Amino acid sequence: MKKELKFVVNGESYDLWVEPKTLLVQVLRDELGLKGTKWCCDSGSCCACAVILDGKVVKSCSILALQANGKEVLTIEGLANGTELHPIQQAFIDNWAFQCGFCTSGQIMATKALLAENPKPTREEIQLAMDGHLCRCTGYNMINEAIQDAAERLQTQKAQEGAK
Amino acid sequence: MSEYSIIGKPTTNVDGAAKVTGEAEYTFDMTLPNMLYGKLLRSPHPHARIVSIDTSEALKLPGVKAVITGKDTPGGKYGLWRRFSELSDQEALATTKVRFIGDPVAAIAATSEDIAEEALDLIQVEYEPLPAVFEPLEAIKDDAPLVHEDFENNINATRHIEWGNVDEAFKKADYVREDRFNLLGQHPAPMEVHSSVASYDKGSGRLTVWSSTQSPYFLQLGLADALKMREGNIRVIKPHVGGGFGGKNSTMPDSVNAAVLSMKTGRPVKIVFSREEEFTTTEHRTSMHLAIKIGLKKDGTLLAKEVKIITDGGAYTGLGATTLYLAGTWITFPYKTPSYRYDGFRTYTNKMWASSVRGFGATSALYASETQLDRAARDLGMDPLEIRRKNAMTPGYEAPGQYKVESCGLLPCIEKMEQRVKQKWSKLSKDEGIGFAAFAYMSGGIFNWIDTPYAFSGAMVKVNIDGTVDLFTQASDIGQGTNTVNVMICAEELGIGIEDIRLHPADTATTLTDLGAWGSRETLMNGNAVKAAAAEIKNKLIEVARLKLGENIVYDLDAKDKRIYLALRPERGFSYYDVVKDAIKGNDGEPLVGIGHYTPHRKGMVSPAFAMGIMGIRAKVDRETGQVEVKEVIAVHDCGQTINPLGARGQVEGSIQMGLGFGLCEDLPTENGLILNPSFVDYKLVRTREMPQIELFDVPTYDPEGPYGAKEAAEATTAPTAPALANAICNAVGVEFDSNVLKLEKVFKALKEKEAKEKGKRRR
Amino acid sequence: MTNTNYRCPCCRKICSEPHDLARHFLGQTDKKHKDWLKTQGLSYAQLITSQAEFGNKGYDTLAEVLGKEAPRC
Repeated sequence: MKKELKFVVNGESYDLWVEPKTLLVQVLRDELGLKGTKWCCDSGSCCACAVILDGKVVKSCSILALQANGKEVLTIEGLANGTELHPIQQAFIDNWAFQCGFCTSGQIMATKALLAENPKPTREEIQLAMDGHLCRCTGYNMINEAIQDAAERLQTQKAQEGAK
Repeated sequence: MSEYSIIGKPTTNVDGAAKVTGEAEYTFDMTLPNMLYGKLLRSPHPHARIVSIDTSEALKLPGVKAVITGKDTPGGKYGLWRRFSELSDQEALATTKVRFIGDPVAAIAATSEDIAEEALDLIQVEYEPLPAVFEPLEAIKDDAPLVHEDFENNINATRHIEWGNVDEAFKKADYVREDRFNLLGQHPAPMEVHSSVASYDKGSGRLTVWSSTQSPYFLQLGLADALKMREGNIRVIKPHVGGGFGGKNSTMPDSVNAAVLSMKTGRPVKIVFSREEEFTTTEHRTSMHLAIKIGLKKDGTLLAKEVKIITDGGAYTGLGATTLYLAGTWITFPYKTPSYRYDGFRTYTNKMWASSVRGFGATSALYASETQLDRAARDLGMDPLEIRRKNAMTPGYEAPGQYKVESCGLLPCIEKMEQRVKQKWSKLSKDEGIGFAAFAYMSGGIFNWIDTPYAFSGAMVKVNIDGTVDLFTQASDIGQGTNTVNVMICAEELGIGIEDIRLHPADTATTLTDLGAWGSRETLMNGNAVKAAAAEIKNKLIEVARLKLGENIVYDLDAKDKRIYLALRPERGFSYYDVVKDAIKGNDGEPLVGIGHYTPHRKGMVSPAFAMGIMGIRAKVDRETGQVEVKEVIAVHDCGQTINPLGARGQVEGSIQMGLGFGLCEDLPTENGLILNPSFVDYKLVRTREMPQIELFDVPTYDPEGPYGAKEAAEATTAPTAPALANAICNAVGVEFDSNVLKLEKVFKALKEKEAKEKGKRRR
Repeated sequence: MTNTNYRCPCCRKICSEPHDLARHFLGQTDKKHKDWLKTQGLSYAQLITSQAEFGNKGYDTLAEVLGKEAPRC
């Protein structure tokens, strides 16, 4: 029997009816058409499905959709400002921090959550925070460099906004 | 100042914005109107005759729209080694018997994945289990059960390579040693699982298939053979692909059965594998028994090499026959080998079949040859870099009847390594060691086992009146950056910007044949086709400009920075945009189109060009636990002219991650044909905290065969990683291994055995 | 011109040396070739196994037989 799910995704409010067993990633992808979040391991062990739920990064394959009831979700589609890429997205591009791109949404969302909590992480802190994310293409070092670059860009942006 | 505007400059990914915003669509993401979801029923037995299949109950389940078994398919057999029809051994669904745990016997299309999954349990299959064989050395025995009835002793393929007189050369050697290795398999484990969507149009009888594939053309051929259709009536489109690494070359049951189900229901059908299916029923690296014997002079000069390999092929051929051939080829690289003999045998066994994975035989072969070479160096009292330097291939080296190495920067690579190691790794801590391994790899193969009549790669360039360009190429970007490389080459050749070019990739209906992304062929082969297509346009534009300039025909014109100009007097020229307008308007409006193609001719039996290099690894061993920590990696490679340094670095680092997995932690243990660890929880990939810092040095050369002198980059570097690590471990704590996957318990055990041996010696 | 080449007893392959013919022969996976070996008292499995050891024993053995039995052309 379906139950009501009222939540906000990327700033938009939704009122849906879902089966209790439905995972958050399924609602995002299949109901809302937000296919940017991927899933691929069937065991909660790769973090490709990472999104931000009420400010915290979560594996959307391991959360029931109904657990997001009354909450706010941010997915990869909600990051850019219209056509202007978020500094994290631009840093990933400039540092060649993805190749096939399948794990990238999860990496970027986790980066956003990390930098919100720790604006100037060291390489070791980045590796610790991102250890759950599997990537078969990159070997991770360029992702870590992108994250450090993103941290600097965000700091600069903050300083510029402060100056205004 | 570099002579190029774009080639060799770090360039961001042309698909970048799509990939970082979640807009890039993968087959995994696709939905079509009225689409059904398919699932496969798979054999629980490694070897069994199919007695009967009853699908009646499954058909009754609401939401189920079709259930098929082998007899409902067109029944064509298919495979990649199409030149030899007996090696086209795959079927859409098993008809008479199943050959491995997971071999599909039925397929369902339903209105949801859940319903399809539920319906699987309603299909009744009666099997008669047959004796099964799981080990190649058992499979070749006379009394072994036959996996395929026409292949006695389960020998699927053989390969012999020989030059010089190896037996005489061994007699002349001062030092001879034999070593035997057991190289274990590895799963490519791409992040996107195998996924296909098929849509059959009843009206025209044409089929369109979208698939997570490394080769739309190979898939088109496989589907044509399986479905007994004309290949021109099958259109394959490759959306973005979430990784392949060699596991997505073959036509697999997702695509074929999605097609059959679509033909039956008249609706689009999507099949996506679960991660468990990905691990247990898709192609992985071939495991093999390898024996290698070398004869050297006492100064370390290699005189003779003999190699025998038996590979565990699994239940079908795939590209496993090519791995057999290539393993016996790579094991001679990168050294001058005056005499050589190789015999390789691939056996069928009742397991998921093994095929090609990044390195294509090199990863396994070089583990053996590079660790053995270090052992020889130790016995001869030689420095490991010195023994490699002594035997290193040089430009123009030829292995009689097999291959010729045109460009070769191996010696400068070794020199650079030696320099850098002196600067960076002169002080080692306790239980730390440095290990080296040299390597080489092909830039695409000259082989045509696929039996194509077409050029190996084609491309088309269309220039519009406003100077924008449409570039059509079937090359498969599976993450390695081929799209970006192709756009860069087209832009360089035409003298325009990346932003002027729109790429139309990987659609068999609208692009010229390309054999796909395997054997590191895209940059050289498709790059050459793109360059040729762009050059055809450039030549047309130059002729228009020349006419306008009115200059003597001996003066050359060039295209750069959006101008067409006299090479010797660049100020005399015209804007590219104006010349384009003139070229079209002044020629009766004839479309401005260039077509290019490339096939290697007279380039030996292997490849037109070889990347070369050497890798060094510094590692530390914890004697208490056997845990190995990879501290740092130095990689020095010659890939000719690097087209995109950003992409090349990314690729090299990714290949090292996979190489480290091969060396340390990725294995596929099986029991009676069942893979025991089909999830990322138990199949360990190297993660971010375990990745070392990597320094990459480029030793540029120029290969005449490659576009702008380019060769492959970064499949080569998969191979030296594990042997360099094994050599580092040996130098750190004195233990040798005859297999890969050096998990801590294996290293610990080796340390304890060494300790016990030494204690035993001391007592005596 | 004298008959210097050797024709495969089971297919149209022609080689100038018995060893080359032996290599061709052991590369064939069809029944016809395998059955011919049995008529000569040879076992495909044994030939393969001995060729998989260092040395050239499998080909040497088969080459000797083919040198005598293969039709010349």
